[in-house]
Amino acid sequence: MPEARRGTPRGRRAAVGLVLGLAAIGLLAPVLASERPLLARREGVLLCPALADLPLLGSLFDGPEVRSVDWEDPGPGTDVLLRAPVPYSYRGVRLGDALRPPGGGHLLGTDALGRDLLARLIHGTRPSLLVGFGATVAALLLGGFLGSSAALRGGLLDLLIIRVADVAACFPPFILALALTAALGHPGIGPMVAGIGLSRWTSVARYVRGEILRFKGGDLWASARASGASSRRLVLRHLLPLLAPPLAVMGAFGVAQAIIMESGLSFLGLGVAPPTPSWGTLLAEARGTLDAAWWPVVFPSAALLLALGALCLAADLSGAPARDEVGGLP
Amino acid sequence: MTSFALRRLASAVPTLLGVVVAAFLILNLLPSDPVLNWFPEGAAPSAEALERLRHELRSEEGPLARFASWGAALLRGDLGRSLVDGRPVGSVVAEALPWTLLLNLCALLAIYGLAVPFGVCGAASPGSIADRVGGWVLLLLYALPSFAAAVLLQEAFAVRLEILPLQGVAGLDAGAGLASRGLDLVRHLVLPTACLALSGWSFVARYTRSTFRSVLGREFLSVARAKGMSRPRAWRHVLANTAVPFVTLLGGIIPALVGGSLIVEHAFSWPGLGRLYVASVEGRDYPVVLGLTLLAALLVLGANLLVDLLYLAVDPRIRDAFLGERGDA
Repeated sequence: MPEARRGTPRGRRAAVGLVLGLAAIGLLAPVLASERPLLARREGVLLCPALADLPLLGSLFDGPEVRSVDWEDPGPGTDVLLRAPVPYSYRGVRLGDALRPPGGGHLLGTDALGRDLLARLIHGTRPSLLVGFGATVAALLLGGFLGSSAALRGGLLDLLIIRVADVAACFPPFILALALTAALGHPGIGPMVAGIGLSRWTSVARYVRGEILRFKGGDLWASARASGASSRRLVLRHLLPLLAPPLAVMGAFGVAQAIIMESGLSFLGLGVAPPTPSWGTLLAEARGTLDAAWWPVVFPSAALLLALGALCLAADLSGAPARDEVGGLP
Repeated sequence: MTSFALRRLASAVPTLLGVVVAAFLILNLLPSDPVLNWFPEGAAPSAEALERLRHELRSEEGPLARFASWGAALLRGDLGRSLVDGRPVGSVVAEALPWTLLLNLCALLAIYGLAVPFGVCGAASPGSIADRVGGWVLLLLYALPSFAAAVLLQEAFAVRLEILPLQGVAGLDAGAGLASRGLDLVRHLVLPTACLALSGWSFVARYTRSTFRSVLGREFLSVARAKGMSRPRAWRHVLANTAVPFVTLLGGIIPALVGGSLIVEHAFSWPGLGRLYVASVEGRDYPVVLGLTLLAALLVLGANLLVDLLYLAVDPRIRDAFLGERGDA
């Protein structure tokens, strides 16, 4: 159905760019929005306090002098040379600044506890993307491995894997994530990734298994076999490149679903632990001030809409055959 | 046909057993102590309270013994007792079930009632401005999560415009007349139904559009029309050819609604199973969580079964293939 493809290549490129941009925002959140300056001089020494919270590289810039100073009011002897683009913390309660409308110092306004909404939105990108990509990678790896094992080994193992997939597919991802949360006794990123990954692998496994079985009857398989290729080599070198585009579509779709689930669970108060913001947490908090302010509702919704819309466009949902394999809705 | 139905039912039995075992395993094999989890962090429960809870949850027995006693009770239809108020899980669930069924039925009707005509219109005039604008609107709707929609709709219709109630199921006391109570319930239903139907709506509309496009483009239709088949008759053939994808769709929507009710019911304080589930997870009420997890999985299993049986009803090819294979056609 080529005419069903609605996204133009340019539109899809823009969407992929948007997704990558969001990932960059998530990674660089501590630099983009922080009460600590990017560059400061303290007693003659140059410091980069905001960079200390970066993933991986952070420890290079960390030190007792960074942690001990109250950067909102550093006192004499310290010169702030360069502030972060959004010079506010995402936690720190300041009731004096509660519910400031957008504009002025706070571009998107503040929430009921006086925290800068833009800073919280930027930091809220992180759990969403972490769970989104983490759970999807887990589902792709697990589903790919089990699906190809089932198709290549066949027999009892095939039957067993298919039966387990049947059972796992009966548990809606949301329910599974919540049940794991209850069983672990505390909410968090772990149960979310596990819950989503454990219910999503089944569609990947079914798809990979079906494709391998289809290829097994074809010429490609026979000729590669005749030239002495092993099963593993066949799958990794010959089949994976063929399966990659549909799997990428399933992956992009899966990331969108996982983001919806992460923010949904956080909305229920059963996702990431507060003070860490997630877009879902922001919306849950906004419910308390519906009559007083519109900005805490509108901006997180817009962020979700943008991220999920970009992912759906990137996956080019309208024409993707893999969509039917993925099945469900959020 | 009956024998196919029986065979399909029989093939679901191992999955059913697997689901029961898996639900038990999820909540029993993780390395955490439900007895200690039950108490809030930092609390120092008395030895007596701990002992009572241990007895209630049978946590001193091994998992196998616990599974045996839980399974035996399950066969009798006994799901255990809620830790919160000591009532049987079955009656707690039965109390919430009608509310969830009502909401989901309304959502299902809203999805198909609105989305199918919309999709058919798009398919009938592809590339028109309405079709293209509709496509973008549907994409936006698809990308808006139900809880964001819930908060936005509450802000707009309940708080700013004040034309619909914010949450709950009833705003009048029991003394009001039946008609006004019914109207009140409908008013309370509007926003939750819209939120629950939202993502399904755009999914079904897009699906309908592409399904109809693929059938409308087929040669048999132009041939039939060229030979003088009337328009309504031609549409009957189109509908017959699009029935199978719609049945497939139903199998995807029912589980999605089961999951979606959780959030929507929480957002609107709707007293159904979703809110009960969230409250039980929050309160670590293990028997209720286990019972509802099992119920959700069984619902999905049932939906899959229903879809397979419907295939048989709507597609003579599948029916013939099966009957031919059995040799009693």
